[in-house]
Amino acid sequence: MTELKIALVGNPNVGKSTLFNKLTGLRQKAGNYPGVTIEKKTGNFTHQGIKYHLIDLPGAYGIHPSSVDEEVVYQVLVDETNPNHPDLVVVVGDPFNLKRAVLLYQQIREMGLPAIFVANMLDEAERAGVAIDVGKLEKALSTKVILTDARSNKGIEALKDALQFEPTTYTASFPIPDEYSSAIQQVKERTGERNDYLAWLYLSQKHNRHLDPAVSAEISTIREAHHINYHRLQVQETMARHTMLDTHFTNVVKDPAKKRENFTERLDKLLIHSFWGYIIFFALLLLIFQAIYSWSGPFMDAIDSAFAWLAASASGWFPPGPINGLLTDGIIAGIGGIVIFIPQIAMLFIFISLMEESGYMSRVVYLMDRWLKPFGLSGKSAVPLMSGAACAIPAVMSARTIENDKERLITILVTPFMTCSARLPIYIVIIGLVIPQDRFLGLELQGLVLFGMYALGVLAALGSAWVLKQLMKTNYKSFLIMEMPTYKYPVIRNVLLNVWDKTMGFVVGAGKIILAISVILWVLGSFGVSERFNNAEELVRVENPGISDEAFDNEVQSQKLEYSLLGTLGRFIEPAIEPLGYDWKMGIGLIASFAAREVFVSTMATVYSLGGTDDELTIRERMASEINPNTGRPSYNFASGISLLLFYAFAMQCMSTIAIVRKETNSWRWTVIQLAFMTGFAYFAALLAYQFLK
Amino acid sequence: MTMRAISQNKSISHLKKGEVATITGYVSNEVPLKVYEMGLLPGVVFTVKQQLPFNGPICIGIEGNPNFVALRKTEADLILIESLS
Repeated sequence: MTELKIALVGNPNVGKSTLFNKLTGLRQKAGNYPGVTIEKKTGNFTHQGIKYHLIDLPGAYGIHPSSVDEEVVYQVLVDETNPNHPDLVVVVGDPFNLKRAVLLYQQIREMGLPAIFVANMLDEAERAGVAIDVGKLEKALSTKVILTDARSNKGIEALKDALQFEPTTYTASFPIPDEYSSAIQQVKERTGERNDYLAWLYLSQKHNRHLDPAVSAEISTIREAHHINYHRLQVQETMARHTMLDTHFTNVVKDPAKKRENFTERLDKLLIHSFWGYIIFFALLLLIFQAIYSWSGPFMDAIDSAFAWLAASASGWFPPGPINGLLTDGIIAGIGGIVIFIPQIAMLFIFISLMEESGYMSRVVYLMDRWLKPFGLSGKSAVPLMSGAACAIPAVMSARTIENDKERLITILVTPFMTCSARLPIYIVIIGLVIPQDRFLGLELQGLVLFGMYALGVLAALGSAWVLKQLMKTNYKSFLIMEMPTYKYPVIRNVLLNVWDKTMGFVVGAGKIILAISVILWVLGSFGVSERFNNAEELVRVENPGISDEAFDNEVQSQKLEYSLLGTLGRFIEPAIEPLGYDWKMGIGLIASFAAREVFVSTMATVYSLGGTDDELTIRERMASEINPNTGRPSYNFASGISLLLFYAFAMQCMSTIAIVRKETNSWRWTVIQLAFMTGFAYFAALLAYQFLK
Repeated sequence: MTMRAISQNKSISHLKKGEVATITGYVSNEVPLKVYEMGLLPGVVFTVKQQLPFNGPICIGIEGNPNFVALRKTEADLILIESLS
């Protein structure tokens, strides 16, 4: 069976993803483009005996990229060796902005790619009295034109039929200005390219990553020799195309252009109001946090007890011993530690998808831009920062829509300061231990401290953004020009698919690491080389004559831990963490939770020989009665507790975030700087707090 | 192609909420490509829908386009206009 690769290209906000979801249904998956973490959505379907492989490219207004997102579009389309390079391009536009989509269509055709044209959002257009003359449009574009409404399933079958269409030859509508003909000629000679427009594109792009670096450098030399500014070429082309479309495209779309005091305009009077807009936004944030913490509670409890039951019944499958321990304490506990976060992450993405789908997200960007700009961020940083309150991993990925390199980098670097859901279990346990259950101004003190920790995260993120802004230089001007689409009812199917993608991304991505760490921890905690580990039973019996059976078991277990490989590691770093108020057992927790913060509580549970985190109260009681052998005071007193809270607020204790930052910034340097800065800052904050408070 | 001569120095940021204007040109050649791509081109008629306080971003509605466009004051400064209201 033949397989055809189809790329879906289009302007943002034209319903392209709805169209993609309608075409592929559930036969789709999210992945990454090689080398970059731009989310790539692909799907398959078969129609009339032909197998289609559909690629959903990021939204773009034209072929010239101004963000990392848009660069993917250029790379996939220009590079014939790219694994995603399509056999046919489907350009999607909306009837209200048809010219803009036609501009993109022209560029793609002139690159030498076959393409068909889709005008989506037919229903909305009909309601507004906008009509498209398909015959005229087909003639003007010399290709097949299909009218669709992805929401109501109109035209989907016609579109599938049209995918076999082979467009006829295309005459360029953008004459390359004569002043550049010698430069174009030189580019064609150096690259061996025969297409004038492609040569023009090579000349007008800052990066041509698909070309050999030597050729790319030669193009730069040609540009310099002819005093060509690539930005000016892009502007010249865009303006020339718009002017031509204005003159030759008058009869294709019938737009009564009557004054439309529409739903969106009325809603925006409130939602972007200079006072009420902010009140509504913060109320919505409050609702989201409320939902994440309270609504996901029952689900998390259910998952917790399911895994406790699973571990209990699994322990009967094998006789007591290493395999049993690996299965129950290592693997099942590890998987449980991943699955437990699913309700919170899914909940967050339900809200984020609803905000994106409805068009509200661009209003958030609009409202927040003024307040984030002084910190070297953009309004578009609001989305990563908000998502950072759930998990830094998807949050860092969502920074890719920020056009300005500097703003994007700062956003990525500071987002991990936001209080992610993995910090929450630590905060709750420690606050429960060291903050009295008093009331302050009628509010619960413990709750206030928890709120304070969130505020601290925001302050740390904004503060370090401000510092980075002073230190970093940029050649790019920061700008914000953004379309605010009309409000739409979210397509539930899109929301659910997005939530599913993001949640599975977390489970598989972060899950692998958490699971691996759990197993490594178990191995390090279960083996040792010293005499006191291997002969623990005998030595305890000799040293504690007349000990009861239960006390004997506990003593053996804790001695084994102390002299296991894990205990040895904890005691090794003890000198460094003692000034922070921690002992070697907490050191184990710190080391283990370098992989992921949420590991801390379960590690402490293991360390204090409790064997599981199922019964939170007993862990707390056990932690409360734990005595620091160095100071003779409780391990979790006010000073060391505050120190620990500050450490976890600031330290980069998350390997998955480190990995994603490396991928997104494509730089080890920034990744290491971020790690060193966050952990160093955390260390000194914790040190100061403990030394002042002890 | 040359840009239209700059006949006056009024830019989008001089407009108040509700005012209608048409674009006449640009202050410099360094205007971000997005400005052109969004359709903020000479001859286009638009209405200022809103501006956020403390020199916050400006929201404009281009004639015939139901979607709004938001831009910062720094970008609005670059786009020259002629007031129609």
